[in-house]
Amino acid sequence: MTDAASQTEPLLVIDGLSVRYAGRREPAIDAVDLAVLAGERVGVTGRTGAGKSTLALAAGGFIPRVVRAKLAGTVHIDGIDATTLEPAALVGRVGLIFATPANQLSASKQSVREELAFGLENLGVDRAEMETRIDGVLDRLGIAHLADREPFALSGGEQQRVAIASIVAMGTKVLVLDEPTAQVDPAGTADVGALLAELAAEGTAVLCVEHDPTILGAMDRVVVIDGGRVIGIDRPGVALGLSIAQSVGLPSPTMVRLSEIAGVDPANAFDVEAVTKGLLASTPTDTSVPSAEHPGQTWMATRQRSSAALEIDSLVHRYPNGVEAICGVSLSIPAGQSVAILGQNGSGKTTLVKHLNGLLRANAGEVRIDGRATTAERVDQLAATVGFVFQNPDDQLFERSVEREIAFGPRNLGFAATEVTALIERSLKAVGLIAERTTNPYDLDLSRRKLVALASVLAMDPAILVLDEPTTGQDSEGIARVGAVIAAWRAAGRTAIAITHDMEFAATSFERIIVMRLGSVIADGPPAEVLTVANSALLASTGIKPPPIALVAAAAALERTPLDVDGLLTALRARSWNQTPQGPIER
Amino acid sequence: MSATTGYFRAGTSWLHRRHPITKLLGVALVLLSAFLLPSLFLLVLLVLLAFVAWSTGLSAPLAGSLRIPALLLTSILVVNALFFPGATDRLVTLGPLAVTREGLSFGLISAGRILVAFLVMVLFLFTTLADDLLEALISRGASHRFAFVVLSAVQMVPRMQTRAASILDAQQARGLPVTGSFRSRVRALVPLIGPVILGSLIDVRERTFALEARGFGARPGRTAYRVVADPPQDRLLRWLLLAAALAVVVIAVTGVAGS
Repeated sequence: MTDAASQTEPLLVIDGLSVRYAGRREPAIDAVDLAVLAGERVGVTGRTGAGKSTLALAAGGFIPRVVRAKLAGTVHIDGIDATTLEPAALVGRVGLIFATPANQLSASKQSVREELAFGLENLGVDRAEMETRIDGVLDRLGIAHLADREPFALSGGEQQRVAIASIVAMGTKVLVLDEPTAQVDPAGTADVGALLAELAAEGTAVLCVEHDPTILGAMDRVVVIDGGRVIGIDRPGVALGLSIAQSVGLPSPTMVRLSEIAGVDPANAFDVEAVTKGLLASTPTDTSVPSAEHPGQTWMATRQRSSAALEIDSLVHRYPNGVEAICGVSLSIPAGQSVAILGQNGSGKTTLVKHLNGLLRANAGEVRIDGRATTAERVDQLAATVGFVFQNPDDQLFERSVEREIAFGPRNLGFAATEVTALIERSLKAVGLIAERTTNPYDLDLSRRKLVALASVLAMDPAILVLDEPTTGQDSEGIARVGAVIAAWRAAGRTAIAITHDMEFAATSFERIIVMRLGSVIADGPPAEVLTVANSALLASTGIKPPPIALVAAAAALERTPLDVDGLLTALRARSWNQTPQGPIER
Repeated sequence: MSATTGYFRAGTSWLHRRHPITKLLGVALVLLSAFLLPSLFLLVLLVLLAFVAWSTGLSAPLAGSLRIPALLLTSILVVNALFFPGATDRLVTLGPLAVTREGLSFGLISAGRILVAFLVMVLFLFTTLADDLLEALISRGASHRFAFVVLSAVQMVPRMQTRAASILDAQQARGLPVTGSFRSRVRALVPLIGPVILGSLIDVRERTFALEARGFGARPGRTAYRVVADPPQDRLLRWLLLAAALAVVVIAVTGVAGS
């Protein structure tokens, strides 16, 4: 918190707030009290369906004006009851930012400058004043270089920063964000986080719903909600830890777990050096509550052919505009291997994997599955061998129940009815949606819609499973689910290939990491060798950085990089053992 | 084509330089003429539109866009030519079916009207930036909600095309055959159209939220950052177009030109 914050009145005061949607018996949020000071950043986290988005909508004054719902209690913005404010007065005081970057923009503007003007036009600001305010915001928020770019041509992270800037230009004092980095790559997430810090330093009150530990860790306070109620409000190191987050089954971020194991001051929970020092000074044992069990049992194959070797040979792909998206990539992926592909947006990851099931045709080189070129078959025929789960589940869901949705693929492939039934059961179980079999997929939230899409591809029982960003928009529970599916797939000797921005997920769920930059592979090997601090510069060149465990391992000068908390603790214990000459064995 | 610019094709032709409202009046005049004036006038309109396309360098893209209504136009022609109710004047007999003069004539007129309407609207979209149209409508006193509906309509098709391409990929990857027999193509329609519509609804909700957060329609006295060029001759042109449109209506109502 800035010095200014400690002396000021709260800008956002939520008092006894309850919201109930029409047709629901239970309130979405219930008796929530919360105050955010000027210059303060407050994070909101909780499991899917906890009421976070409802809290954001209410804090932004959208309920009941834009979203119909029954509201009790009050929301005061800068001392005024939000429900009494005229729309123009309200948007000048509080701004709301949502998850999908492209949908935050007006969709008609030709330049970022015009995009920033949009809100000002609506408020009736005169043209000369607009120029001054736009220049000011561009400068203050460090996005002046984007001024003349076309908003739709920007990356997700840039679009979110432009969306935030356009709200700030309207003179907003309170900024409410609902998962602003859910669909942004790690570099973009860091930029959004830095922008929020700058705004708070200028006196803006920030309320941010998030799952990302790097964003939450930088907040002044974090609110954990569950079942619509506030479970606790504290510094991130405490709120995300054993006593609050884990009490409602929300897994703690790695740094918080390590800090609690090391017994360091929660204020330093995200400080790698302090946590490492604490770990080295103690005999670390894991005290955290084991997260909900996701049985990583073996996937039960229904077909004889259960694995396939993949050869990518000097693959080149050029877009119609001449840009070379894949510049001669050669990879050999043996049957049964699990591979994570990392790299910043635009590095060619999706273009590469779209060649695996024939969605894209190479300009040169080829992809072979068990020695057979993929160009020999149509996409729908290759689907029997290569299952592809798209990033956006809404590109494929159309049936009226989860069950029917899952049956669609295997039926297309001509599987027998008994086999389809068995595969539906196994897929539903694998993603933990047994209870939702008759639900309409569109009645589920995004994270569960993604699991339905995953199940619908699992049910095709493919030899090779390809996933495009399965963890974006997922809470930690959803990520664990996807991890369990990958584990089951590995156990069955099947190949799994996933594009991901989540370094911890990549390190713990895959045996091989491929890092891409500008259409080429720049690193390839086991996670413990690729995701290391020694590789930091290389990883940073494509917008990623090693996971927190690797940072702690480097600070502790461990020789090998462990992949998870258990591995780290074992390595630390083994080292203190070796380094103690009067160890128990010698006595 | 991008989601922002829709069908707009950057250029500096005389038609690009017209004010959006001038162009809208032009579209209205052509539509009125096509539907109210005697059917032979459709030929004049088609020649006129071809000339406009040529003079603005848009002939090739305009011709390319014709594959969109091609199936509709052909089926109107064929169905009317063969099955026009009560038609007696048989021109060609094809087994149990026959092409009738009444049917062929009705089919040609209907298809011609739809063709003219399609071409004039595509020319408008090719030469008008969605944002200019929005500003022009709002500055002329159109309600912001109406302007937004117009803007969404202009941008909807390109957005849906982009989405439809990803949906086609996603469903093929689930083993849906989209080529081959007519039957398999028809069977493929539901899994393709379903996500287009449902996905668009989700998009609209998010976009509405974003517009609300930016105060769209929050107060009447909206100002404009972007200046939409309105050359002096446009004013005169608008009066001429209005007068011509009025004349078309008068001719149609009084039946001066017969029918």
